[in-house]
Amino acid sequence: MGKKSKNNIKKYNQAGYLFVFPFLVVFLVFSVYPVLRTLYLSFTNAKIAGVGKMDWVWFENYVRVIKDKFFWRSLWNTIRIWVVNIVLQLGLAFLLTIVFSDIKYKMKGLGIFRVIYYLPNLIAATSIAFLFKTLLDWRYGTFNQIINSIYHFFGANYNPIDWLGTATYAGPTIAIIQTWVWFGNSFIMLMAGVQGISTDYFEAAAIDGAGRWTVFGKITLPLLKPILLYVAITSLIGGLQMFDLPFLMADKASAAYPSVQTAVMYLYKFGFETGTTQTGYASAIAYIIFIIILSVSIVQFKVFNKED
Amino acid sequence: MKRKKLLTVLLAGALTLSCMACGGSEGTTSNTDGATDGTATEAADDTAADSTSETGDKLVIWTLSNDLIDFGKRFEEQTGTPVETIVIEPANYPTKVQTALLAGEKEPDIIVGEPKMLEDFYDAGFFADLNEFGAQDYADQIVDYVWEVGQDADGIQRAISYQITPAGIYYRRDIAKEVFGTDDPEEIGKLFADYPTILNTAQELKAAGYRIFSSDAEMNVFSGDSAWVVDGVLNVDQSRIDYMDLCVQLYQGDLTAYANQWSTPWYQAMAGEVPILTADIQNYADDSVNVWDAEQFAEATQGMDTTEVFAFGLPSWGVLTLRDNVKDTSGLWGVCAGPAYGFDGGTYIGISSNSERKDTAWEFVKFCTLNEETADWWIEYSQGDSVSLKSALEKHKDDANEVYGGQKLYEFWLGQAEGIDTSKVTRYDQAIGDAWGNAISAIKTGEKTKDDAIAEFYDVIESTYPDITVNR
Amino acid sequence: MGTGFKIKKAILYILLILLGAVCLLPFLLMLVNATRSGVEIVNSFTLIPSTHLKENWDTVFKFFNLFQGMWNSIKVAVPATLLTAYFSALTAYGLAMYEFKGNKFIFTMILVFMMIPGQLGLIGFYNLCTRLHLVNSYIPLIIPAIAAPGTVFFLRQYVLSVLPPSLVEAARIDGASELYSFHRIVLPIMSPGIATMAIMAFIGNWNNYLLPMIILNKNEKFTLPVMMATLKASTDIQSNQGAIYLAVAISVIPILLVFCFCSKYIISSISAGSVKE
Repeated sequence: MGKKSKNNIKKYNQAGYLFVFPFLVVFLVFSVYPVLRTLYLSFTNAKIAGVGKMDWVWFENYVRVIKDKFFWRSLWNTIRIWVVNIVLQLGLAFLLTIVFSDIKYKMKGLGIFRVIYYLPNLIAATSIAFLFKTLLDWRYGTFNQIINSIYHFFGANYNPIDWLGTATYAGPTIAIIQTWVWFGNSFIMLMAGVQGISTDYFEAAAIDGAGRWTVFGKITLPLLKPILLYVAITSLIGGLQMFDLPFLMADKASAAYPSVQTAVMYLYKFGFETGTTQTGYASAIAYIIFIIILSVSIVQFKVFNKED
Repeated sequence: MKRKKLLTVLLAGALTLSCMACGGSEGTTSNTDGATDGTATEAADDTAADSTSETGDKLVIWTLSNDLIDFGKRFEEQTGTPVETIVIEPANYPTKVQTALLAGEKEPDIIVGEPKMLEDFYDAGFFADLNEFGAQDYADQIVDYVWEVGQDADGIQRAISYQITPAGIYYRRDIAKEVFGTDDPEEIGKLFADYPTILNTAQELKAAGYRIFSSDAEMNVFSGDSAWVVDGVLNVDQSRIDYMDLCVQLYQGDLTAYANQWSTPWYQAMAGEVPILTADIQNYADDSVNVWDAEQFAEATQGMDTTEVFAFGLPSWGVLTLRDNVKDTSGLWGVCAGPAYGFDGGTYIGISSNSERKDTAWEFVKFCTLNEETADWWIEYSQGDSVSLKSALEKHKDDANEVYGGQKLYEFWLGQAEGIDTSKVTRYDQAIGDAWGNAISAIKTGEKTKDDAIAEFYDVIESTYPDITVNR
Repeated sequence: MGTGFKIKKAILYILLILLGAVCLLPFLLMLVNATRSGVEIVNSFTLIPSTHLKENWDTVFKFFNLFQGMWNSIKVAVPATLLTAYFSALTAYGLAMYEFKGNKFIFTMILVFMMIPGQLGLIGFYNLCTRLHLVNSYIPLIIPAIAAPGTVFFLRQYVLSVLPPSLVEAARIDGASELYSFHRIVLPIMSPGIATMAIMAFIGNWNNYLLPMIILNKNEKFTLPVMMATLKASTDIQSNQGAIYLAVAISVIPILLVFCFCSKYIISSISAGSVKE
């Protein structure tokens, strides 16, 4: 991390405070304060913060979270959806990277394809949810209509699948939609990683007459492995906070809901929903989720440092 | 070293992106919250009378549906008091009211609530005591159940609704005549008298090429003979179980059009034919028809691609929903009683306890709920919403509604309203109802056995409300 | 090269284009459905536009003036994005290039705050806004943008990988002040990274819903996502899906425009670290 140069500028170091100061003020006021207040609430039995009396209950809420099997189910749901999503997302991004980095094919149009693949990332989650909910409607959605007409064309019957309404399909369906949103982003990252690999490697391999798969297995994959690993692990941090899409797409009374309720949705249920608001409990859930993410991150940084 | 830097940048990028992806929580889709919507659609942007000075008299209203925009405008016209009406998405309404009032905001002056939100609002002290303004003088002017719902646990009046919202069954008279030989509400009501009868009715209709309902949740408004929670104990009565069984049978017997409530096809079923991709085409596989022969198959299944829906189970504000959606089937509808007395929704108007304009606010509450002239106007303007003011209901009891072939609805609604038992309303209804819905869905789709699904339902209630005793 | 090779290459192109189509299809559907009536949308699927654009337009604008919402969104998203870009760069540079007491601690806090679920501080945040009398103003939506931990983290790593410390040292020898060198030397070098983060921030701000919904209380101040939510909550419009598609389409257009003009930054700056090799 450039230790040497830093020693040289030591006398200027006080100026660092100036650079960080505005950030720090806003950060303390608008981020740290609200979060500390939530920490306080997590040790109380507040139902709606600020209403009625509120007693200090120590770790009661935390014990309740740990004993709450539906919290753990929601965490498991989160991980399940995330795993399907990350496998598909990275797999697809990886395939694309291989195609575009192939020295024999020299595929053109990388620029435009990258842009197009990134587009789904731009739409607000509410709009994505609305769009796919309509498209995937069981009996009336375009998606099933298309499948049905393909079946009909071959003279077969299609027994329509309720993509978002059944526990079996809802999780994977949401994971695929997440993939659709995010694969372009992963692709750009992996591609950047490949472009970082010196072309010397590939040319040397070409001279040696190495086949495509040899190049891939011996050069591309080992060099990309750390990137892949880190993209996967860091996306877990975001993945554990998954909320928007499942929240917007799953109908509360549907059979699918218990299988797509994520940890943050569970937090939301107690934090904000009518009739179930229990702020103290919601705060404790929030902190448990935070602790889990923190642990994952620590592991990640350990792995990261070891690799070096 | 370079590689590490690259990785760090990538890592940072991934982190940032994933955080952005999941940071803000988006709003709920509103499909499940159709309650109380559906009235006139006036431009909302010119309702904000912001230009008046802060010191002058004015009213700020936070509401859930478009109705109060029109009430507000009329109030402004008649009293000269500027009114600013903000419509907030129902799913986020409680959050917004809570955050604002707890923070001590002086505005809004008027807040509203649906019955399921009211108890929490009462406990939180959001609604001012209307008795201080002499509300009890008007007690006998409003339909009893509405008056009761507007009271907190101590019997203090906190809110009043301008509507009654008893539930009824909206059915197609033409289909009734064709299949059952009569369209008389009394007779058709008998076809919906209890859950086993409804199932028979559904099968008869299917045999005639129709579907009884759009969704299998249409009878939800009637379900339950008693409250979900009685004296701190979870209470699952027989009618809840019967309702569950009916939903499962409707679904598994392919007896509905499989359009979820408040989804677009559900609305369209009000206007007539809806397309269906029916699972029961499969049945033809056993018959003479060769399903692999596309032409023959198409012929055999001709007419099965569309169906018409016979009935909808909705509260009285469903009149407004139908008003906007029946299109060519206008005049072909009728309304009859369901298997029980039920009600759903209703906008209850009250005064924010933080308001500094409580007297004007009380005038507004009275104007919306206790003013016969307003009631007359609203009945006409909304083309058939049912008001809670007894004298107005009496006055309009001979009004014929053309959408319903001239049926006189107000007398009917009043009769239904009189049967309503308000002790069934609890703050737990939404969450427990959703959990019960999950159980029903799990059974009907075959994901769980009835016993397992109900056991899980008990577990959910226990973990959601540690204070409620669950006796299995 | 043999024909087999050419065929394979053609197949690859076809697959890539198909994937591109999958990404574009929803946009196309959105535009087509914006011109169709609710009945048409449910009854059949097509990519041929219909004739109900005017009708849908009227339905939407009867409720809200979406252009007012768009203007409000711009008033929030643009300043917030600029603040995020400038102050994040400033902070990132400060954290990366100066060794002062608390540097490590601040950096750790930034990392930690990236892991906290966003919903966690909502109530406390609102309480704060009330105490500062900031409810129903755009300030709580704009000022907090100064502290964007994720962006700072990214830019800190970015500075470390693209900025040779010798450049700054040379400026010092010439007697330039710290802020001067930051503005004249560091900012230009960081600009691709800043641009990337700015685009992301703009998209995030533009699509932000929950916070504006809680903070804003007046129709004429509503941002686009808040308007859309109110719109969708209405049963009248529920029955006309074409109108909702139109509203969604209108709300996506500015984002698309921004992206079309800036897409190369996103890609180039993510790749920048490696180009230095």
